[in-house]
Amino acid sequence: DETEHFIEGIAVTGKKYSRDFLLKFSEQCTDLPEGFEITADIAEVLMNPNFSSHVTERDS
Amino acid sequence: ASAASKPPSALLRNPHPLENSWTFWFDSPSAKSKQAAWGSSIRPIYTFATVEEFWSIYNNIHHPSKLGVGADFHCFKYKIEPKWEDPICANGGKWTMTFQRNKSDTSWLYTLLAMIGEQFDHGDEICGAVVNVRNRQDKISIWTKNASNEAAQMSIGKQWKEFLDYNETIGFIFHEDAMKHERSAKNKYVI
Repeated sequence: DETEHFIEGIAVTGKKYSRDFLLKFSEQCTDLPEGFEITADIAEVLMNPNFSSHVTERDS
Repeated sequence: ASAASKPPSALLRNPHPLENSWTFWFDSPSAKSKQAAWGSSIRPIYTFATVEEFWSIYNNIHHPSKLGVGADFHCFKYKIEPKWEDPICANGGKWTMTFQRNKSDTSWLYTLLAMIGEQFDHGDEICGAVVNVRNRQDKISIWTKNASNEAAQMSIGKQWKEFLDYNETIGFIFHEDAMKHERSAKNKYVI
């Protein structure tokens, strides 16, 4: 209805995004951002598997 | 008609900017045990400014149920550090929800989406949110800037409960009281 469209229009222009709108993008964004780097100790406890190309090598 | 037939990748080429940039911070249990000073092991993980960047990180990190006991994972507005000492946080406080261990994943996601999507009427008052994974329970808190602004805090607390469909009573603690009284700090507001 008209109210909904109005709200949705405002939502986009005001950079306000509803939960349902944001959820639509989840499946399209599965790769880590380019340039993402993380140290191995954090990666081990924070990251899902298959992140290894983004791990920073550190001298120890 | 042509717009409707665009491939999904068109969405990725036209990222959706967020009102604010946000930084994920992580404090790991393993680092914590080796270092005496609180906060010394907390580290920024990534700063994002679009819907797409948010998901690119979120989809590749462990959610609270997979983090180790003792972990703290934060999402704060860019340039606000998740510490009491941060000048923007210093006069603030926090609302806290508690969950059974491993039962906070959906609420954590919905908290993040409400913040980055600017769904709070007093979103300017929000510094960020944190999930604390502990032995007995998970806790999610929203940190705000001006604890004495009761109307703003009550609005945030009320909306947060609505967004998450959370039915328990939640309390708001001033950081100032938490610093003085630690765990015995009393709620200043409840809703």
